[in-house]
Amino acid sequence: MTGPEQAAAGGAKPARVIEIAGLNKWFGDFHALKDIDLTVRKGERIVICGPSGSGKSTLIRCVNHLERHEEGDIIVNGVTLRGDKGSVNAVRGEVGMVFQQFNLFPHLTVLENCALAPMFARKMPRREAEALAMTRLERVRIPEQARKYPLQLSGGQQQRVAIARALCLRPSIMLFDEPTSALDPEMIKEVLDVMVELAEEGMTMLCVTHEMGFARQVADRVVFMDQGEIVEQAAPEIFFSNPRYDRTRAFLSQIL
Amino acid sequence: MAETHAETALIFQPKPARPAPAAASGPVAWMRRNLFSDVPNALMTLLGGYILFVVVGAVLDWAVFGAVWSAESRRECLDAVGRAGACWPGVAEWLPNMIYGLYPKELVWRVNLGFLTLLLWIAPLFMPRVVSKVNIGVSAVLLFPFLASYWFHGGEMGLLWRVFVAAGIWGFVWVWATALSEQFAGRPIGQTLLAALGAEDAADADQRRILRIAAALLYVAALALTLAWRLEEVGTRLWGGLFLTLVISGIGITFSLPAGILLALGRRSDMPVISMLSTAFIELFRSVPLITILFMFNTMMPLFMPEGTDVNQLLRAIVAVCFFAAAYMAEVIRGGLQAIPRGQYEAASSLGLGYWRSTQLIVMPQALRIMIPAIVGNFIGLFKDTTLVSIIGLFDLMSMARAVGEDTKWLGLFIEPFFVVAMIYFVFCFAMSSYSIGLEKKLAQGRDRG
Ligand SMILES: Nc1ncnc2c1ncn2[C@@H]1O[C@H](COP(=O)(O)OP(=O)(O)OP(=O)(O)O)[C@@H](O)[C@H]1O
Ligand SMILES: [Mg+2]
Repeated sequence: MTGPEQAAAGGAKPARVIEIAGLNKWFGDFHALKDIDLTVRKGERIVICGPSGSGKSTLIRCVNHLERHEEGDIIVNGVTLRGDKGSVNAVRGEVGMVFQQFNLFPHLTVLENCALAPMFARKMPRREAEALAMTRLERVRIPEQARKYPLQLSGGQQQRVAIARALCLRPSIMLFDEPTSALDPEMIKEVLDVMVELAEEGMTMLCVTHEMGFARQVADRVVFMDQGEIVEQAAPEIFFSNPRYDRTRAFLSQIL
Repeated sequence: MAETHAETALIFQPKPARPAPAAASGPVAWMRRNLFSDVPNALMTLLGGYILFVVVGAVLDWAVFGAVWSAESRRECLDAVGRAGACWPGVAEWLPNMIYGLYPKELVWRVNLGFLTLLLWIAPLFMPRVVSKVNIGVSAVLLFPFLASYWFHGGEMGLLWRVFVAAGIWGFVWVWATALSEQFAGRPIGQTLLAALGAEDAADADQRRILRIAAALLYVAALALTLAWRLEEVGTRLWGGLFLTLVISGIGITFSLPAGILLALGRRSDMPVISMLSTAFIELFRSVPLITILFMFNTMMPLFMPEGTDVNQLLRAIVAVCFFAAAYMAEVIRGGLQAIPRGQYEAASSLGLGYWRSTQLIVMPQALRIMIPAIVGNFIGLFKDTTLVSIIGLFDLMSMARAVGEDTKWLGLFIEPFFVVAMIYFVFCFAMSSYSIGLEKKLAQGRDRG
């Protein structure tokens, strides 16, 4: 964002890195996202929650174009997603994604999983890519597992590898789609700890999760979705203590 | 919470692990456990043993103990043992033909040398410290055939053929240079070469230029070599026997895998024209028996060709076999592709890998690995199906075996040559199948839990 716009947005506020306006998305006849508007500023941590099927995954998957949207604008770091190769690649280079099911590549070692994208999407020499991968594995505290294959690791370790893999592209934005939902309770914490650290380092994060403790601790804003719409969004202390809509209250009473 | 517990918490002491109880070992224990564990099991063991004894005994009686090992004609065999024993001299006399067809006897060494080249080409795959195994394997598939084509056929080389034969020579030298460098120096051939030239510390760009020049020089040398290389022509009409079977099925097998991959990808493509064309090709060739395809290509291809171009009969058969095999392989590979979860594609896309990159690095390695048994099964089927080329007049192993019994000296001698053919097919197919099992085990190591 340039000077005047920033000033208009309120002076010292950081730049907007994701701008979603009037987003609509259909699966066949099913209207999955309805008139979504959402702005994320640099360094902001957004937690998205809502009942199953409300469109949370669809929304964040639109941000890196894993889903194609039919209507509306998505602008990431100044690049408007239009579905053409150029804009999609530009956006994917800026946005890392972590999936519920990890989606590690089972035929490659942990190190290869991480070094793959730098080598082949960024044309980095192998040695450099592996060195980079090691630094990211250290960051998620599993450098000693580098030579193992993903299926030899526990779920929590696999998810941390997935985070390291996404970090290897040096993204400025991270998307998390229920990163802890497939994990046993004992492993949830080790993944959340890594995410909290990332948040503290100033990473811009969009995170679909039902871990309300995490939301309270790190989120700048909680977004509540239902039936393809954003019902309300607020800072966590307001969201949890004083939600405006009945729907939100009902949802919170179920999960808290 | 704390008030519900006792003052001091009990300390949990994990028990030390102890080794699993030793199972009784030794052959007797093993037999008792596996063969005679209870009455039905013991009965089945005895029954199975009896059947094995009778069958193997009968075969051995016929093929070894009651067989005639030297005779001048089938008559002599019949006089000696009747039909109770095999008559091997006829097979022995025809064995060279069963292996090489009508290939001139004094030139048969070229065929042997051609296959020896193949063995040498893939030998580095079995060297433990060689890391460029994929490249070596690919080069064997892509470059060896050119070299082999000249060993087998010989004759006048046109410009185009010369260019390819030189590529074959280049590949062979590269494979062994790579293998030796990696096996004994533990580094890629490029580094060894740079070290030998004292250019280890040159800038990256310079190093790359040096390597490129070295590769080009090697190619020029190979080209010069082809100028000096002159072999007598042996037309494909003279090719036959096991040699011909190996040529047809070898080409069919190596063609079917890449072509099948492309067809399978094409069928799943988002682009309607490509997907329609691939589907049409696959369904067309899958719904027609191979024998019909062979006939069609044999009789109809010349009709479509411009006047005067003579497409060699062997080539027609090979093209037919290749198309047929590719169509089948495509469906096998598509099965493998369908087994790859969508998350794998999504993860690859989210990392910025494009379609071809994710296909090459993520999807295909997994799909092929899942489908190894089916792919090798296809190879084996193809290898055996090539016997059908005998009906369009090519003298493959099968037709050579039939020719033995049509020789006036050995008139009616059919069972023995077919027995030998069966053994040959068995050896090849069993080798392929064992290799695939070995490969599966090796790939499974460490990649799965448990
Ligand atoms: N590929 C698809 N084709 C058709 N419908 C889909 C597809 N993906 C999602 N949907 C539908 O869109 C709606 C929103 O799905 P989405 O996965 O975004 O929900 P969610 O909020 O992430 O739910 P959950 O908490 O269960 O993950 C659901 O009703 C789902 O059935
Ligand atoms: Mg979801």
